Amino acid sequence: MTKELDCRGMDCPAPVLHVRDALAQEASTDISVLVDNEAARQNVSRFLEHQSYQVKSEVLGDLFRIVGRRGEGTSSFTPAPALPAALQSGPGAKKIMVLITSTHMGHGDDALGDMLMFNFIKTLKEMGSDLWCVAFVNSGVSFTAEGSEAVPFLQELAGNGVQILACGACLAYFHILDKMQVGEVTNMLDIVTGMKRADSVVTV
Amino acid sequence: MTTEAIRLTQTVKGAGCAAKIAPGILDKALCGLDLPVDQNLLVGLERADDAAVYRVSDDLALVQTVDFFPPMVDDPFSFGQIAAANALSDVYAMGGVPKTAMNIVAFPAQTMDISILRTIIEGGLSKMREAGVVLVGGHTVEDSELKYGLSVTGFIHPDRILTKKNLQCGDRLILTKPLGTGIIATAIKAGLADQELTDRVTQAMATLNRDAALIMENFTVHACTDITGFGFLGHLAEMVVDSGHGVRITASAVPMYPEALEWAAMGLIPAGAYNNRSFRGAFVDFAVSVPQKVQDLLFDPQTSGGLLIAVAAGEAEQLVTALKTKGIDCTAIVGEVIAEPIDRIVVE
Repeated sequence: MTKELDCRGMDCPAPVLHVRDALAQEASTDISVLVDNEAARQNVSRFLEHQSYQVKSEVLGDLFRIVGRRGEGTSSFTPAPALPAALQSGPGAKKIMVLITSTHMGHGDDALGDMLMFNFIKTLKEMGSDLWCVAFVNSGVSFTAEGSEAVPFLQELAGNGVQILACGACLAYFHILDKMQVGEVTNMLDIVTGMKRADSVVTV
Repeated sequence: MTTEAIRLTQTVKGAGCAAKIAPGILDKALCGLDLPVDQNLLVGLERADDAAVYRVSDDLALVQTVDFFPPMVDDPFSFGQIAAANALSDVYAMGGVPKTAMNIVAFPAQTMDISILRTIIEGGLSKMREAGVVLVGGHTVEDSELKYGLSVTGFIHPDRILTKKNLQCGDRLILTKPLGTGIIATAIKAGLADQELTDRVTQAMATLNRDAALIMENFTVHACTDITGFGFLGHLAEMVVDSGHGVRITASAVPMYPEALEWAAMGLIPAGAYNNRSFRGAFVDFAVSVPQKVQDLLFDPQTSGGLLIAVAAGEAEQLVTALKTKGIDCTAIVGEVIAEPIDRIVVE
């Protein structure tokens, strides 16, 4: 069913928030949004693309209609390369999200834990196309930054279409925002939305 | 009427410099006007520079500018500080020293407690004091939407004016504050920005460009402007047009708020950014590797943004070091002036 939203008469950022709230209430595979200004047209398009919708928009006199589709089996879905890739659907049959919350795996000896975690990241590719997204929070974000031996392995995953996400607040906290080598900066909203959309979430 | 829990950004349509009238439309109003001629007017309207300069004597000229806008933050004192810092910035960008200021106020006295106005002016005064500027008057009108700013007059030596023009081939371009305040103001208005970020960005917008201006006096600076409503590329375009040179910008070197990048991807972009792009986009060539969200930030209208300084290549690193030593931490070399393509901006 197509969800229809009328955002005429709304100025930035209201249309985007309206669409976001409507989708939060009830997820919809098809959505159609009516707006009356160019900024709203572009912003709503960007938002829906960010939410993995395939987006088209048309001019209707003084108005614009933005149509978003997110078919479960839409193989024709090819996002434009310049768009933010965060949380777009991966190629796998199953969507596994891995959340890495620290530099070491498990409790006991941290040096051992560091080695285990590095090995874990190296081995993640064995999940194959089911691996959809790897998100890093807290000290885990250091794996995405300059100086980490994990960077080439994460780059390889990213090259295979796996989303690599690092918590922006965490990168900022550890002063390594400018050192990030792989993946995209993300926020808690994206992580929580990702968890909801994933078939399973593995937290280490 | 209430003084508590009023969120200033909820009372207005546009926010900060994002509320500036679209540059293309403004051009239609100003283009072809019959302007009075005066040989002492060294920098006037037709130059579209940061501030006007009028020669008084061989060693003294006046720098004059005016800037005001609706609130982009909810706290009245902070709004006053930001509006004042933003207005004073135009004088610093010309290489001048601000001396006097007048308040410009539009205030919804029917719906807002007058104590809010007092707090806004106190915020403005705190920045005027910091800048060594005296408040000499002002003008207040009743309006449905709150607006505040300053008209500022400063001194400058007629031979030491830093305009937007005069880029030299090889110059390095230095930016002193991160981009993204227009998008973050939109997020603040949407209630999405947390207090920590709001405080951090508020502080950056309230920071005077005074230290940066004082430091650059000691270097071979060829041109300078401050980044405000037309966005980084909009103001850079003003420097590049008719310069006879081109500019290459390294997108990854441009300081940006990471939160603004996230929100840009989500579509929380002020209309002003799209206006800036449609007005100046034709001067800019983006490499395919520059993500959409980064392009959006490069056009994002800034409130009280940093200085964009064109300095002789050999002195660029030293200038950056000097600025950082003074606590202007986000300063970075973001690009350079190149021979070709003439009058164009290449973003890589």
